[in-house]
Amino acid sequence: MASPHAQGAGTSAILAKGLGKAYRMYDSPSKRFFELFAGGRKLHREFWAVRNVYLDIPHGATVGIIGENGAGKSSLLKLLTGITRPTEGELSVQGRVASLLELGAGFHPEFSGRDNIHLNCSILGMSEAEIAERFPKIVEFSELGDFIDRPVKTYSSGMYVRLGFSVAASVDPDILMIDEALSVGDEHFKGKCINRLNEFREQGKTTIFVSHDMGAVKSMCQHVVLLDRGEVLAQGNSESVADEYLKRAKARGNERLSAFNRGSSAYPRWGTGEIETLEVEMLDAAGSSTAVFQTNEPFRVRMRYRVHAPVKDPVFGLGIYRSDGSYVNGSNHHWREQPIRIENVQPGEEGEVVMSFERMPLLQGAYYLTTFLYDHSKAAPTAVDHREHVCTFEVIDAARLQHGMLFLPTIWTLTRRRDGREERLESRS
Amino acid sequence: MLGLIASLKKNKRLLLDLVGRDLRARYVGSSMGFFWSVIFPLVNLVVYMFVFSFVLEARWDEHQPKEVTALLMLAGIVVWQAFAESVSRSTNTLVENQNLIQKVVFPSEILPPYLVISALANMLIGIAITLLGVVFYAYIQPVEYATGTPSNRVLGLGPSLLALPLLMMLQALFTLGVGYFLATLNLFLRDVYHVMGVALTVFMFMTPIFYPAEKVLEAGMTWVLQINPMYWLIDSYRKILLWGDWPSPPIVGMFALVAVLAFFAGSSFFQAQKPRFPDLL
Repeated sequence: MASPHAQGAGTSAILAKGLGKAYRMYDSPSKRFFELFAGGRKLHREFWAVRNVYLDIPHGATVGIIGENGAGKSSLLKLLTGITRPTEGELSVQGRVASLLELGAGFHPEFSGRDNIHLNCSILGMSEAEIAERFPKIVEFSELGDFIDRPVKTYSSGMYVRLGFSVAASVDPDILMIDEALSVGDEHFKGKCINRLNEFREQGKTTIFVSHDMGAVKSMCQHVVLLDRGEVLAQGNSESVADEYLKRAKARGNERLSAFNRGSSAYPRWGTGEIETLEVEMLDAAGSSTAVFQTNEPFRVRMRYRVHAPVKDPVFGLGIYRSDGSYVNGSNHHWREQPIRIENVQPGEEGEVVMSFERMPLLQGAYYLTTFLYDHSKAAPTAVDHREHVCTFEVIDAARLQHGMLFLPTIWTLTRRRDGREERLESRS
Repeated sequence: MLGLIASLKKNKRLLLDLVGRDLRARYVGSSMGFFWSVIFPLVNLVVYMFVFSFVLEARWDEHQPKEVTALLMLAGIVVWQAFAESVSRSTNTLVENQNLIQKVVFPSEILPPYLVISALANMLIGIAITLLGVVFYAYIQPVEYATGTPSNRVLGLGPSLLALPLLMMLQALFTLGVGYFLATLNLFLRDVYHVMGVALTVFMFMTPIFYPAEKVLEAGMTWVLQINPMYWLIDSYRKILLWGDWPSPPIVGMFALVAVLAFFAGSSFFQAQKPRFPDLL
């Protein structure tokens, strides 16, 4: 751990020049052993998790590091904290560093929360006096009540995290590095954590925050570093990096999802088969096929069909599900105030069905579609061609104006009464 | 080397905390608590006594009554257990604590020392039991010896007890050296930990713990004893604990040399590879 350092104006808290970390990859575990005796001969290949990283982070800044899974965020953070050593480049970190890569690392399940606080504090480098002073605060912050004297193995995962964060929050470093530690715990506790971070920022401390959630990073950081395949793709103020991020995320999401959607025949499909639904496409505002949408952007689903044999009363339908299986919405062209009826379908007929939203109402997340084609001529409709999970798409919500699953058009009004006057404030969007 | 010692000094408090945690962990989860460290060596003793003295009808030598045989074995078991436990736990300690090594800036060089200190602290209980036995059979209810028993084979305690701390220090140094070495090696070759189980058993039976060293000499396998530092160590402990003799200086000197060399080699290997630990795990 670096020694405490006076926070002189104009000095950098973190200065990295051409920082890189290569991991050694071995074809077999034994090669790693034999390399010890190979006299400098290389028996490994190198994998660069992070490379060519230049950072200049001033004291007191709150910096976000974002990127997709595997972009090298955690590897970079490990370098900055000093847990791993860089393979190349220079790094200077000024000030006492505390890192929260994992909450409760090193807790012993048999010991009480009290004992674990003690031990964890000394692992984090606190002196006996510091521990004694902060102990009551930690216990209070964790809100564990009587559980503090029970073995940690009896804790729920939420309690475990609370204890871990309480210990970590009590550390008083100059630089705090956090790896998505906030994405856990209930809303109440999350709020407390964010308060603690804000407090920290107000004290002029430096914070590095790693996440793949652009929204969280944007709301907390002035400066954002975007990593991609180990290299810095963009860095600067959060607005400009967010744009870059969205562009990348769309391109990447499409790349990934188009491959995935081609292979989606793995999901169940059933029906009598007189009419066959062919490809299902998702279209954006420009009418081009995509798998990544933005909230409030136009969204259309188009499916083509071909008729092999007559069906009396065919009805096309569409179901939207969230990736966890929650049924978001289902509709068809028949159960409407102005239904569409298709009559007299004969073999050889082809056509297309389009369902569209003017504004995509879904918020950030992954979703999938199921298409229905049922014959409604009988009391209970029978499946002609039912295709489960026919394609997957993602929704990105950069604005993050609302939280949850759906964007709902809300109107907010606020009425203020003071000095005998009434003032009405309204927001329609 | 100096870096290692400086780091141990700097992290003294954490080291002691870990030792405390470990000693309590032995007992906290169990209802019998502390008594396990008394019962455990005694149960071992009973088992080995049963096998060797009753089933195989082996006798330590013609002079020793079975009470003394038991104490000889107990002293051996207690010392051996401290060594074997430290070594086998050290071998796996980096893997076991990978959470700390990969997620926190953690001084991993304190891991083997805390295991060794904890094992030695536990060994003190075994030594105390042995000493109680010696006091009982030497002074309270003296055992009968066969005629012609040499005076240095009669139970008794003396000022040589003062040499115990020195012996324990050397034992710690030796064990640490082996522990550091195997802990590091295990990161390169995970099989090491599995091999250690067997290797330690073989090593134990090659060390005169359940039989007198003279049997090995009679069999003409002197070299087995000449290359076994654990024999030198256990023999020295027995001299102090049972007969009240001073351990032989050349043997202690030889053990000290081996211990220092082992410590130097083991800790150098550990320190040289330490920067790579987070990557190797």
